[in-house]
Amino acid sequence: MSISDAEKVASVNDTTDPNRIEITKWSLTEIWERYGSWAVTAINLTCFFIIWELFARSGAINPLFLPTASGMFSALWEGFTTTAPPGAVISGSIRDHLFYSLTNLSIGLGIACIIGIPAGLLMGGSKYVETTLSPYVWALASLPRIALVPLFILFLGFTVKMQITIIVLSAVFPIIINAWAGVKTTEKSLLAAAKVFGASRRELYMKVVLPYTLPFIISGIQQGIGRGLIGVVIAEIFGGSKGLGYLITRAADTFNSSLMYAVLFLLVVVSLSLIQITRSLEAYVAPWRRVNKV
Amino acid sequence: MTVVETRRRSASHDPSPAPANVTPVIVSKNLTVGYKLHRERKKLTALRDINLTINRGEFIVLVGPSGCGKTTFINAISGLVEPWEGSIEVNGQPVVGPGPDRAMVFQDYALMPWRTVESNIRMPFELQKLGLSKEEMDERVRHYIDLVELTGFEKSFPYELSGGMKQRVGIARALVTEPDILLADEPFAAIDAMTREAMQSELERFVAKTGQTVVFITHSIDEAITLGDRIVVVSHRPGQIKEVVDVDLPRPRFDYDVKLLPEYSKLRDHIWHLVKDEALRGAHGEEG
Repeated sequence: MSISDAEKVASVNDTTDPNRIEITKWSLTEIWERYGSWAVTAINLTCFFIIWELFARSGAINPLFLPTASGMFSALWEGFTTTAPPGAVISGSIRDHLFYSLTNLSIGLGIACIIGIPAGLLMGGSKYVETTLSPYVWALASLPRIALVPLFILFLGFTVKMQITIIVLSAVFPIIINAWAGVKTTEKSLLAAAKVFGASRRELYMKVVLPYTLPFIISGIQQGIGRGLIGVVIAEIFGGSKGLGYLITRAADTFNSSLMYAVLFLLVVVSLSLIQITRSLEAYVAPWRRVNKV
Repeated sequence: MTVVETRRRSASHDPSPAPANVTPVIVSKNLTVGYKLHRERKKLTALRDINLTINRGEFIVLVGPSGCGKTTFINAISGLVEPWEGSIEVNGQPVVGPGPDRAMVFQDYALMPWRTVESNIRMPFELQKLGLSKEEMDERVRHYIDLVELTGFEKSFPYELSGGMKQRVGIARALVTEPDILLADEPFAAIDAMTREAMQSELERFVAKTGQTVVFITHSIDEAITLGDRIVVVSHRPGQIKEVVDVDLPRPRFDYDVKLLPEYSKLRDHIWHLVKDEALRGAHGEEG
């Protein structure tokens, strides 16, 4: 029995023994280990923007192409604090365009999930569906989506429908493929265990395949967000009079480099935040995968 | 091959009249089973012509070279694979798929990573209708968590546990429905040597308490002798029963330190010779 007791104590998670845990004071090294990377990132970015500012001010590059960092931030601030006057046809406010783009992105992603998750699950679950659909999925997934933009402009005109179609087509394939792969890679021993303990076919899907596939679906959505964002910008650059993509082209046309850089910077921030949200979601629904990754 | 099964038994016992308290639980008659390899249009026989009768409360250990079909035998009992020829019966009924009278412990634990210890152990109740009330099920789950000494870890997830603890969850999950038959496919193979010995003694203790019939696969001859009432040596593929060896050592074997007994080393030697020949045949076969 002594061995099994020793084993229990050795377990990382055993907090039942109060003598095992000792609260230690923060040492400088510990603080550095914990917050050091944040500090480095902050200093790193500050240096980057300072060097940018100095470089832009030196006049080595025409300010039409490269604004100062402070110029970009003030354009960003202005764009967020003002809205278009009532009745204006076209707004110069970043806030309005951001709202428009994000709305389209969420609608597009929502539709992509509604189509993509069941399609991927069915493809993983049924050989017939898989054989039937896989040539189309691979063909469309490998086709650069931008090549389809003229086609959809032809079909749907310069409309929101066209833009959302592009977003859906961009985002749906990573979702389908990940859900499909998740079902396909469900561990055989988990399925065998469920079968031995009496699971019906339906229960195998509901209690093993689906929970196993959930983190795959979320990473599919994560990739879908990245692709969807590309879809948003492409659709708006090619055929739109609203949205961040449109604002970039308009800023370029009017030689407003500060505004253009502000929008680009904003796109980076939006994309990173959305990806971070899905990452935390993944860590929340599948903590065992987070541990395996490290 | 029927003769082989009783060869060693007949050397020591009178084979014909079975003792009154012995009831056969698993009866395998001329069982031949294997796999289809669809791509190569081949059928691969894993086990050929297996005749074996396992009695209630017996601890049967299968040893044999890798890939000899031991797992297939267990899968045939559990109902995961169907016999090609011959039959396999559990409690007098031919096996047609998994049932609540049988449960299995897996080499890689096969715990659902998204379920807590408690929820994993409760899972068989969700999949099988056993006619128990909610209180009875709660009581059973608590009882088996206690038995495998995981009290305090009910809310932990498998990834937070060590290998030995994971397998104890696996064992509790298999015992919780109180099945007649416990099947174990190399359950301690992935566990470190020290913990393995402790787990073996614990398994002996659990089974002594619950009285299950156990069919246990292992690669370790020591493990086989430490746990088994009878050891079935399976030949290289297609697996056939080479010999059934009785283990007449006192229980609980850990308390008696059976490893120090002269019978132990004699048995070990005997089984090692049987297995060695088969393993060598397997090794040469795979090279050629």
